[in-house]
Amino acid sequence: MTSDDHDEALTDRLRAALAAADPVPPTILAAANAAFTWRTIDAELAELVSDSALAHEVGVRSTGTTRRITFRAGGIEVDILIADEREMRLMGQLVPSGAARVELQTPHQVRETTTDDLGRFSFADLPAGSVRLLVERPGRTSVATDWILV
Amino acid sequence: MSALSPSMRVERHPGPAAAAGCAALDSPRMTQPSTGDLLARAAAGSESAWSQLIDRHGQLVWSVVRGYRLDAASTADVTQTVWLRLVEHCGRIRDPERLPGWLARTAHNEALRVIRHQRRVHVGELEDSLADESGPLDERLLADERHDAVLRALADLPEACQELLRLLATDPPLDYATISDLLGRPIGSIGPTRQRCLAKLRSSVERYDNQARGRSR
Repeated sequence: MTSDDHDEALTDRLRAALAAADPVPPTILAAANAAFTWRTIDAELAELVSDSALAHEVGVRSTGTTRRITFRAGGIEVDILIADEREMRLMGQLVPSGAARVELQTPHQVRETTTDDLGRFSFADLPAGSVRLLVERPGRTSVATDWILV
Repeated sequence: MSALSPSMRVERHPGPAAAAGCAALDSPRMTQPSTGDLLARAAAGSESAWSQLIDRHGQLVWSVVRGYRLDAASTADVTQTVWLRLVEHCGRIRDPERLPGWLARTAHNEALRVIRHQRRVHVGELEDSLADESGPLDERLLADERHDAVLRALADLPEACQELLRLLATDPPLDYATISDLLGRPIGSIGPTRQRCLAKLRSSVERYDNQARGRSR
């Protein structure tokens, strides 16, 4: 055996030991399988373009406990602020503004609201965990944002 | 704090059961479908393909997230966010070989965000994560002496070596470019550091293996 083979064999042994010592819990696997039910079928995905809370965003600083996130799809931007004070609160705005129904989705519940004249909307008492928004505008393709963890 | 985070509650979505039903359709095929094939089929709505992607990469995502030693609820939330992101992105990953790197980077970014957030807001929760690490792991270690020896040897190494070796020992493995990004170290340093760390691990493992042999005599 070459020293590369020895290194590979030792790495394999470590791999087996680590997996045996800390296997993925069944609840985690079940949740991962269930994630598929949230597959977006007829909406356009708005991808995360900036997030003040991500480590690699140099120069963007979150102010206090407010996190600022922007998603972008074809012709629309969804800007959101998440304030973490007594409770978590999400405030958002569509750019360009327009009338829309906005859904807040979590793995366990869906809530909805509508935008005001300036395209603004908000959700109070945001649950901790994975969330995303679905934006439905009359006569336009719906837009679903990427999932974020709040 | 409850050990069950919101993300672990899945009663609304009986995913695994439904996936098991579909899996039967795949059984006549002798060859394993490629990861690219699974990504394409999952993007087209195949729950059985999704389930197989999790079978293949579940341990990888879990190992990477566990490396950040978050509390139980955050570990579950970060893991779930990675899978939810993949649901939307599985049709967009052009090169299936990059999937392990994509999963690891997504997990890394979310875990770092949680750590920064927790340091600012909930410092006290770090104790939870320490409590989670101790008990059950130790019991499981005793179950297998060969595993026990290599894990004890790993624990003897400097923190930086442990971190690198854990990332090198994921299943499926990560490429050096991803590991370099996750550790924030130059890619050229990964190979040489790996060799040094494995050499240290080997001498330590041999010591524990010899002790185990001594006890069994």
